[in-house]
Amino acid sequence: MSSQNRLVVVPTVTVLTVMKARLIGATKGHALLKKKADALTMRFRQLLKEIIDAKENLGSTMKGSFFAYTEAQYAAGENIKHTIMDNVDTAVVKVRGDLDNVAGVKIPRFESFVLPGETKMDLTGLGRGGQQLQSCRKAYLSAVELLVQLANLQTAFLTLDEALKVTNRRVNALENVVKPKLENTISYIKAELDELEREEFFRLKKVQKNKQKKQMAQMAEDAAAAAAGEKAEAGDLKMPPFNGPQGQQGVQPPTNSSLLNYKEDDLLF
Amino acid sequence: MAAQVMNNEGMLLAVLADEDTITGFLLAGVGNVDLRKKRNYLVVDSKTSARQIEQAFKEFAARDDIAVILISQQVAGQIRNVIEAHNRPIPAVLEIPSKDCPYDPNQDSLLTRVKHIAGFN
Amino acid sequence: MYGFEMMSFNIKDGFLEGVVRSHRTGMLTVADYNNLSQCETLEDIKLNLTATDYGPYLVNEASPIYTATIVDRCTQKLVNDWNYMRTQADENLAMFMDYCTYGHMIDNVVLIVTGTLHERDVQELLDKCHPLGMFDSIATLAVAQNMRELYRLVLVDTPLAPYFSENLTHEDLDEMNIEIMRNTLYKAYLDDFAAFCQKLGSTTAEIMGDMLAFETDRRALNITLNSIGTELTRDDRKKLYSNFGLLYPHGHNELAMAEDFDQIRSAMEKVPAYSGIFSKLGYGESQMLDKLLYEEEVKKCVDCYEQQFHYGVFYAYMKLREQEIRNIMWVSECVAQDQKGRIADGIVYLF
Repeated sequence: MSSQNRLVVVPTVTVLTVMKARLIGATKGHALLKKKADALTMRFRQLLKEIIDAKENLGSTMKGSFFAYTEAQYAAGENIKHTIMDNVDTAVVKVRGDLDNVAGVKIPRFESFVLPGETKMDLTGLGRGGQQLQSCRKAYLSAVELLVQLANLQTAFLTLDEALKVTNRRVNALENVVKPKLENTISYIKAELDELEREEFFRLKKVQKNKQKKQMAQMAEDAAAAAAGEKAEAGDLKMPPFNGPQGQQGVQPPTNSSLLNYKEDDLLF
Repeated sequence: MAAQVMNNEGMLLAVLADEDTITGFLLAGVGNVDLRKKRNYLVVDSKTSARQIEQAFKEFAARDDIAVILISQQVAGQIRNVIEAHNRPIPAVLEIPSKDCPYDPNQDSLLTRVKHIAGFN
Repeated sequence: MYGFEMMSFNIKDGFLEGVVRSHRTGMLTVADYNNLSQCETLEDIKLNLTATDYGPYLVNEASPIYTATIVDRCTQKLVNDWNYMRTQADENLAMFMDYCTYGHMIDNVVLIVTGTLHERDVQELLDKCHPLGMFDSIATLAVAQNMRELYRLVLVDTPLAPYFSENLTHEDLDEMNIEIMRNTLYKAYLDDFAAFCQKLGSTTAEIMGDMLAFETDRRALNITLNSIGTELTRDDRKKLYSNFGLLYPHGHNELAMAEDFDQIRSAMEKVPAYSGIFSKLGYGESQMLDKLLYEEEVKKCVDCYEQQFHYGVFYAYMKLREQEIRNIMWVSECVAQDQKGRIADGIVYLF
């Protein structure tokens, strides 16, 4: 129970209650975060598999697209690429973004779409190779679709990776730092309180003893005084009304005797 | 970031690759030339220096209307450090095979990372 | 005149005919293509090609070599051979050879027009132009700022100027779809070329008439095929067909109305010369058509070599070389992209 691994608090009952509440909170938080981390990890693992599959798939899809381009070049002539390059205007293939939610982590989600309407490219290769160009275009469009999907996976991967790191860090922090600290604090407070209680008990015992001693001495004195001054009774009788009202005089002896009991009750529950 | 993603007009794809690879994408309609004659693609040939590529890459990465950067593996190899330093989710950087080089999964920065995490090599 | 050209042909054109015929032996043979098909890398292809006529052009190319480089060097060989013959050619033959290259010139002009519209760099544009289609005034390209200036300063000095002035208005230059412009020019060019060949008369007229008829019919077919489902109207489509050829005029009417491949097919099959090609095609497939048409073209070109004393061989030589370069491109791409199973789909054997 070193002081390093606990919070610096005043060991009192109130603080104990606060600490207990905090521990409960931390435990709950830990459980929740753990669940989130598990959900993320699950999704993450799934993603990893998908990414690897898609990446390996990419090779063959792109190969197909490239070959479609070769076919187009064969049919339309080597110079067709310049025509294509010069016809570039505004993009008709674009990417739309959306947000996906995995266990509270927002993952951007892309989706490719083709702007509707005729494109200038439609008539390219009118004289020769137009058909091959169109099929090449289709091949590339599907490649773009795959690429965008892959981009999705990749973004999700990076975002999840980051989120997973943060979540795991939090889980670990709660588990290994916050919770032990709180537990230690609680046991520290409990120990301190016990200690205080023992001290108090001892103190009270001492007080009681002293009181008993005093009482005994008083009683002995009283007895001696009674024995000594039986004759001077009339003068002494005046004293009690001087101490207080009549009612109090009757209450005073029980209070004196139950004081010890009462205090004990409070301290020992 | 959310606002950026929600951009409804649609975002662009940027391409850095050799001429033939790019031509295909342009044919599909990926290419965009804006009013200031800024293109969203860079044709990389033997005369293009790594510096130019790096500059173009950084420019694409900084533009907020680009969602995905496609970069051919050959080109990516020349600016590997810049790509590895790029760790924002948007724009997503994708390595694609180029026409003359078959795709080599082992060179892909991201894929190596993925495989490392997935635990199989 | 027919039959008499053998008396006078060799006076002016005998040497060049000898030259162009000698190139025939330099063409790649079936065995060469077989060797090329066995290659594993582009380096192997280069090595194989160095043993052919292309050798001197490829031998100094540094590794790594790309398909584009190979194609570029092979084209250079054609260009050099062509220019060599062109500089020696006599008036009529020179004219004829120029006509052969106008096709490339049209492509270049269209390239320049689009480039100017998009304010591309002039040097960049010049690099992209096909060397066979160069013309003298191309150097003044940088001066032109817009289409009107481009026409006034550059295009008007080209041999293509009449095609522009007869078929296109100033408004067209600015607004017309560039592909339609290209095909309009091409139509005018083919009409003009055919008329020129007829003027030359004799065997040249006969052989070139056949070649150009095939060329124009192929264009008509392609235009129809490629414009199905586009914004091109029937009338516009019809305007792009040349005014001769085996399909002219009835076939053109049918093609103009055609809405799908089978209608095109039925229109084409009415011409005996083409029914053979279409009978090789299964119903519904049009992908193989290009290769079949290339094969037909090659066959016609090879037939050109069977006759003597005419200019058709020069045209045929150019077409054959171009096909050869296409073959090399196809083989190289197949090898580079590891699609060797497809090699046979693209090669058209010449001899």
